[in-house]
Amino acid sequence: MPKKKRMVGASQLALSNRLQASEYSNEADLLAACRRRDVAALEQLYLTHAARLKSIAFHILRNRQDAEDAVQETFVKLYRGIEGFMGQANIGTWLCRIVINASYDLARKRQRTEEVVSLHSRDERLPLKVVLDDALRRINPRRRMVFLLFEVEGLRHSEIAAILEIPEGTSKAWLFEAKQELKQLLMETPR
Amino acid sequence: MILECKDLERALRTPELMPDMRAHAEGCTACREQLHLWSEISRVAPRLHEEWESPFLWQRIRANLDSEAPRPRLFWRRWTLAAAAVAALAALLIQPWRTRGPQGRELLTEGALVEVQRAEAAYAQSIERLSALAAKDLDRSVTPLAAAYREKLQVLNSAIADLKANADANRYNTYLRAELASLYRQKQETLQEWLRNENAKTNRN
Repeated sequence: MPKKKRMVGASQLALSNRLQASEYSNEADLLAACRRRDVAALEQLYLTHAARLKSIAFHILRNRQDAEDAVQETFVKLYRGIEGFMGQANIGTWLCRIVINASYDLARKRQRTEEVVSLHSRDERLPLKVVLDDALRRINPRRRMVFLLFEVEGLRHSEIAAILEIPEGTSKAWLFEAKQELKQLLMETPR
Repeated sequence: MILECKDLERALRTPELMPDMRAHAEGCTACREQLHLWSEISRVAPRLHEEWESPFLWQRIRANLDSEAPRPRLFWRRWTLAAAAVAALAALLIQPWRTRGPQGRELLTEGALVEVQRAEAAYAQSIERLSALAAKDLDRSVTPLAAAYREKLQVLNSAIADLKANADANRYNTYLRAELASLYRQKQETLQEWLRNENAKTNRN
């Protein structure tokens, strides 16, 4: 565990160094460069958002290779559709929306049905992280997505509302319901 | 406010009620466990963020973006290549250099031809002088390198002679003139290369 933390820390440091060296002073500049199909600008977007996008895709597809494919598809879609992005939302929010759709498309295309094996029958005591991950896979998908974006990826309700195209109040309500469901499942699981 | 077990959900939705709910939970194991789980879920959740290194992902994306990029140049290049292929095929079929007289003049005017021939002759003379300079050592030397140079120059001389005969028969053909110039250039470079090698050898000794 500490090893992973160090690795993440190092990659974040590398990221921040690259961002400092960035020639784009704000998101508008970056977006303008992306519209010109400037590959350096697109790489900048990748460096800033790839980690979160991969994680979101992973939670939908449950496979790292598939998650990378979804992120790749996300950038291709961004490249094709950048003209249509009028800056009505944060570009990171837009990327999240694309990666969610790309992940669901990929899941459908590969027809990989997620096998949810309940941990109920196991009698060994499992760490809360494992139990929570298992429970998360078994709750309502819409609520799961809100939980994932808010609690796991640290997005705000306003951002989640923009990504999922739902009212902010709905995002808050679904988060509460997701936690209720999870709490129930965790109480039923021996730990 | 005194809260009971049935108020738990309401308290979870309403942060202002939480202090009273916690007060109730101090004496209620079931509510205490539920409150604990509620906060644990939020505490542990960020650890579900999945992070791993993908050293080749950006290269893959980049390759995809490159294939997505509009290629007007490629489009024109294809047309240019196609047009060149058609022109080459037409040239082969028609063989304009075999025609003599007035038709040939369409390729090179009389004035231009005189100028080209004069320049060509001067160029050939300067190469001959270079050739004479190189010949002293080249003809004498018995090394394999010298033999290779002699062989190459022989091939070039033969090709120049053939092409010159052809160009003389098709005096207005610019293509043959250009090819001839190219062969002269190759001969010049070969001789210069040999002389450079010889000079370097002399300096070393």
